[in-house]
Amino acid sequence: MSRLRARATIDRNVGAVLVLVAIFAPLIFNTYWIGTLLTDALILGILAATLIFLSAYGGMVSLAQVALYGIAAFAIGNLTTTGNTKGLNLGWSPLAAVPVAILVTLLMGLLFGVLARRSFGIYFLMITLTFGVIANLFFGEVTTVSGFGGISGIPTPTIIGNPAQHPARLYFVALVLALAVYALLRYLARTPFGLTLQGIRDDPVRMASLGYNVSLHRTLVFGAMSAVAGVGGILFAWWNGHVDPATINIGNSINVLIIAVIGGLSRLEGAWIGALVFVILNNYAQQISFVSSRFETLIGVIFLVIVLLSPDGLTGLWARAIDLLRTSRKQVPAADPGGGSPAN
Amino acid sequence: MRLLRETHGRPRRWHYLGALLVVALVVAGCGSSSSSSSSSSGSSSSSSSSSSAAAPTTSLSGGEPIQKAVAPRTGTGTPIKIAVMSDCQGAFGSFDNQDLAGVVSAISQFAGGKPVNPALPRAGWTGGAIGNHPLKLVGVGCSNDSADTVIRETRRLMEQDGADIMIGPLSGDESIAVANYAKQHPTKTFVDGAAGAQDTTLKVQAPNFFRFNGDGAMWNAGLGDLAFNKLHWKTAAVISDDYSFGWTSTAGFIADFCAAGGQITKRIFPPLNTTDYSSYAQQVPTNVDGYFVAVGGSGLIPFLKAYEQAHGPIDGKKFIGNLFWGTPGLFESLGPRVAGAYVGGAGTAGDLATPAAQDYANNIIGHWFKTIPPGGPAAAQAASTFTYGYYINTWGLLKGLEAVKGDISGGQKALQAAIGKASLPAPYGPITLDANRQGIITSYYQQLFLKGGKLAVKTVASIPNVNQTFGGTFSGSTPAPGRTFPNCVKRSLPWQGKEASVPVVGGG
Repeated sequence: MSRLRARATIDRNVGAVLVLVAIFAPLIFNTYWIGTLLTDALILGILAATLIFLSAYGGMVSLAQVALYGIAAFAIGNLTTTGNTKGLNLGWSPLAAVPVAILVTLLMGLLFGVLARRSFGIYFLMITLTFGVIANLFFGEVTTVSGFGGISGIPTPTIIGNPAQHPARLYFVALVLALAVYALLRYLARTPFGLTLQGIRDDPVRMASLGYNVSLHRTLVFGAMSAVAGVGGILFAWWNGHVDPATINIGNSINVLIIAVIGGLSRLEGAWIGALVFVILNNYAQQISFVSSRFETLIGVIFLVIVLLSPDGLTGLWARAIDLLRTSRKQVPAADPGGGSPAN
Repeated sequence: MRLLRETHGRPRRWHYLGALLVVALVVAGCGSSSSSSSSSSGSSSSSSSSSSAAAPTTSLSGGEPIQKAVAPRTGTGTPIKIAVMSDCQGAFGSFDNQDLAGVVSAISQFAGGKPVNPALPRAGWTGGAIGNHPLKLVGVGCSNDSADTVIRETRRLMEQDGADIMIGPLSGDESIAVANYAKQHPTKTFVDGAAGAQDTTLKVQAPNFFRFNGDGAMWNAGLGDLAFNKLHWKTAAVISDDYSFGWTSTAGFIADFCAAGGQITKRIFPPLNTTDYSSYAQQVPTNVDGYFVAVGGSGLIPFLKAYEQAHGPIDGKKFIGNLFWGTPGLFESLGPRVAGAYVGGAGTAGDLATPAAQDYANNIIGHWFKTIPPGGPAAAQAASTFTYGYYINTWGLLKGLEAVKGDISGGQKALQAAIGKASLPAPYGPITLDANRQGIITSYYQQLFLKGGKLAVKTVASIPNVNQTFGGTFSGSTPAPGRTFPNCVKRSLPWQGKEASVPVVGGG
């Protein structure tokens, strides 16, 4: 236990430093990093955190998270735009549309959750993949709400303004929401609901025999994570100003899974670490002259290396490095008992 | 936060999934850059196939260019930073080098640049200047025909690499997204690559986005007039892929045919990537004079076969296709039955026997590049929609830069005004811009015919001064082309009756 406590202390300190860096990032990084790379990483991190939470606490690997995130983005697009040739063009205020978009996403998440509540393992994965495909095709085919061209010119709230002119504003909104999501998910994991969920993850039959409603728990947590993914989707719509069915295609669903695996599926922090690494790789890999347009191959190789070196992703690698460091420190006095104590 | 599962020491089940993902990702990555051409054949087919059907070898080959190249230039002033947005992944990924060939050839021809590698257009250019301002290539974007990706790539090029001007993108939905991005960045200038979405210029109307190529509807101008007045169709049915390009392409035919006096009695829209077209073929009416078919990619032949099963052998003269029909090799399994069908174009005509067209292929594209991978000899790919689109758009940009002597200060306002006034004596007909900064172009249509018992395609006629509005059918306030729009309305079009037959080489 002391090993875990020591590691937790180090983690907390490093985490605090990273949060401080994130807060002062606009003073450290250029506007492209703030407005594009870091904001994108924060948004994708929120999305990946929902996948990690479902997987780690509920044993549910969902490939529908991107679709749910997209539903929120399409909802915002339809509610707030005007003058587009596609979509509902309702012209609402961006802030007024937020609760409606989250509600729509929550309801769709609950619907998906109800349908998938009795599926486990690979079957759950497949049924959520099906949800993703359905959402992708729905928004492509139904021109009343999108069509393949998607919805452009999505406005942002006045407080955020034009992200091209004020990139730091949206960045800070994304940062605050990412921290809030992180805190909320940590809290949720420790509540009786979260503990029950972990019990269901480990042994659903036993939990059912103890009187817990396994299906209801699984449905509710899926719905809750849908709403959180919806927060990411709204931020994405504001950040990108455009959403189309390609935003929620299978490739992007797998990208979010890759982010979660790179970061580490056993720790929530891994969502943002994985997202940052993925975004930076995606951005810079193709600028390497010999890689050029084959940058996705490079990303695949890096992903392969990370998975082989540490199945727990980068956060797992970090934990092992800390343990190794502590072990090697303890072994030094054991090898030389006479010189270990300053009192001697 | 360490989770309970880990502390309880339960086995993790992720290894198999991780391995699966790795394999999928690496395979996808390996194939991303150049192997995904399956669905794109139609998009450049009309031009490339026509040039292949009729190899452009005239006396002009290897001679002195009509549009003489400027002497090599370098500049010492403030560089003009240019980015190019291409598709190196997705359905159009295999045309990546054609895009760059168009750009680099125009820079070399009109601004004194030189390809870095005459066998690899993507390597970019060296040298080149306007008004002592060197033209510096700061980056080439790699999109995949999705708006989402093109926005990310545009941001990288404009905000990280600091480009002043971007040339591209390639495809329709991408161009709408870029035009919207352009609106938010009025001090930068954007010229299209080869994208043909109507909304890009007609609806978005970004003051700093320019397009010298036509849109998908304009490319079919003249076909309706042909059907009504020469083929004597009074009624027609349209069958089209159910997505934005299919709708836009079909809208051009409907607007043109109805303007001439025809009636569209049935509109059928099979979903994209349909594999079994039998139910749609059954819906095709037999009591019409002809059909316009805008089913593309891997769907065209299955649709025509389903039609034959439902209604008997195809009579080529009762069919008009859009640019997807421009590749005769596609129809091998149908034999000569499609001979006689007319085909819409994409604003290009590779077999055009005019000096300007042949000069462009042989002495400009074929001069600056020996090969354009993976397609082989460069001259034969000059008439590709992509090579030509990027070429004329870059040329239009350079005309604007010449007018302001390379001075892009003042938020590029003077440059943007100059580009808006640019007119191009382009290889396939003159181009000017309308008030929405959209090109007014010459369109072409072609015909499938039998040459030595084999199916071939030749350019038949040109339609001059095609504009985006189709005599008021389309405007900033009308709906976008769709399943029910445009309505069938008789009206006057500027080009009605003005189509002219054109001389072609090797067309038989």
